[in-house]
Amino acid sequence: MNHLQSKARISFLTFLIFISLPLFSQIESKENQDRPVTGYYSLEMGRTTVRASYLSPLTYSGTSYGISGNWSKALPFCPENAIMNFDGSGAMSSLLNPAKTAQMIGLIGEFSWSMEWRKRLNHNFQVTAGGGPSISGGAYYLIRNSNNPVEILANFSLQINASASKHFKIGRLPLLVTDRIRIPFIGVFFSPGYGETYYEIYLGNHKGLAHAGWWGNNFRLDNLLSVTLDFGRTAMEIGYHLNVYNQWANNLNTTIISNAFVIGVIPHGIGLKKRSRANYSIY
Amino acid sequence: MKKLLLLILIPLFFSSCHDEPSYQNTLYGNFDALADIIDRHYCFFSDKNIDWNEITEKYRKELNEETTVLELFVICARMLDELQDGHVNLSSRFSTSYYRNWWSEYPQDFNLRTLEEYYLDFNWFTTSGIMYKQLPGEIAYMYYPSFSSVISESSLDYIFAILANSRGLIIDIRNNGGGMLTNINTLLGRFIDKKMIGGYIMHKTGPGHDDFSEPYPVEYQPAAEGHIKWNGDIVVLTNRSCFSAANSFVAVMKQLPNVKIVGAKTGGGGGMPFTSEIPLGWSVRFSACPILDADKNNIEYGIDPTPGCEVHASEEELSQGYDAILEYAISLLKDNPLPYPDEEEE
Repeated sequence: MNHLQSKARISFLTFLIFISLPLFSQIESKENQDRPVTGYYSLEMGRTTVRASYLSPLTYSGTSYGISGNWSKALPFCPENAIMNFDGSGAMSSLLNPAKTAQMIGLIGEFSWSMEWRKRLNHNFQVTAGGGPSISGGAYYLIRNSNNPVEILANFSLQINASASKHFKIGRLPLLVTDRIRIPFIGVFFSPGYGETYYEIYLGNHKGLAHAGWWGNNFRLDNLLSVTLDFGRTAMEIGYHLNVYNQWANNLNTTIISNAFVIGVIPHGIGLKKRSRANYSIY
Repeated sequence: MKKLLLLILIPLFFSSCHDEPSYQNTLYGNFDALADIIDRHYCFFSDKNIDWNEITEKYRKELNEETTVLELFVICARMLDELQDGHVNLSSRFSTSYYRNWWSEYPQDFNLRTLEEYYLDFNWFTTSGIMYKQLPGEIAYMYYPSFSSVISESSLDYIFAILANSRGLIIDIRNNGGGMLTNINTLLGRFIDKKMIGGYIMHKTGPGHDDFSEPYPVEYQPAAEGHIKWNGDIVVLTNRSCFSAANSFVAVMKQLPNVKIVGAKTGGGGGMPFTSEIPLGWSVRFSACPILDADKNNIEYGIDPTPGCEVHASEEELSQGYDAILEYAISLLKDNPLPYPDEEEE
């Protein structure tokens, strides 16, 4: 009897799920039409310079490659003025010292989430401002060093985001010019001691490794200037990405500057071409 | 608008108010870079009572407009030799400087050929870089020539299983120039039953000559359950060429009650080295983190043998097949009872 009852319950639940699936998909579809997710998928290539005094007093420079994704969506409670962003990126670089006698390899990743307030102004001009948490980490490995072979970077911060964009047309092709800035203003970051080995950290000496970060000891500026060409079903982004990072702790300084050319794709466009179908697009 | 501009400029101001030294790729620029790197990072100035400014001034005077790159290398190498530290090297594409007096002015007290021919009979086991064999008289013998060879737990299990029925263990680390400190714990773990503080490590906290952190204890753990331990007597054989990690190993082993250090004073090397570089692309290695023994004494100058156990092996005797240090160690252990008596004796 119990067995039959449970079988009936499972059948009923399965029926309910099948019934509700089209409903959910209809809701999702409607929501996507009203507040589409705009996803940017980009590749970057450029030049990076690194000066990490824990590893070397010299500045290393070389080529860097990166991949990034940005997903943005208007928020349901205030779709005209509130936008949510999620960013993820990774980059690797191969660098040489000025005399080209030593190689440094870098690997960096970052994830951030933010909410932004949006204001549409006249003449197709839009500004946003907001912020949110960001986590980033990576390492620069100087192959020939002995007990100080790697500069590990680890950051958790709250950052300020701001952007300005304007869209217009050249012929029938909608274009969007955007400048987007992210600046962490407070957080926590990692730094080994001035002459501390990772062996000592491995032994358990974790004193003085975590530091409260602010603009005076942990400054970063991430600026992306881009032009997006909206073809309707898809869009293409071309841009310039500047990333400046400066860290001071334990009498150690790390400065990383990267300049990169960006090319990206936005699979469903940015809603400028077919404006009416996207009531609350992010532009 | 002015406030906005101020808000943008403030972080740039804060981030630029720290100055890092910048060096030019010139004759004097490279020399000054090397002098400054050592000045800011080397860890034994006070211990060795070295006036680095005086030394750098002395060697800077040897530079002139006609100094070649090769001459610059030689001058810099001679300047670094003033630190009297085997962990200090200047490396270019054509040479690596090396301070050798820490061992070259002392007897070698060891001959590998003598060991292989007269004691191991050209027949031994080798695993994890350790040569081992049971010598006549049921004496277990291990020769570990470099801490750069990673010792695996399974290798040690085999070694101690094969050498189990022995009166005592000789660990010969003569000519061991060091390597990875982590190997110390792997090996030491077989000789201890509970965790012990084997020494301390410090690091520089700033560019001042006396900017150091508090000593941090280096704890060693016994090997995990299931691994074969050695509870009997141990003799560690040393010579002047035991350096760096080998020197640290001796400092730790010397604390154990069942261990005797036999041979000559070790060569030291009690500072973990860092690497840096000068604009010319030459790298420089130097002691950066002092390692102390369990009594917080500096081990940079070497570890003495156990009192009464200083023995030297002369070149003449070694050439005739007699290793006085090894013979002394055997004599210390030969009267020990075997750990597993024969059934007939029972």
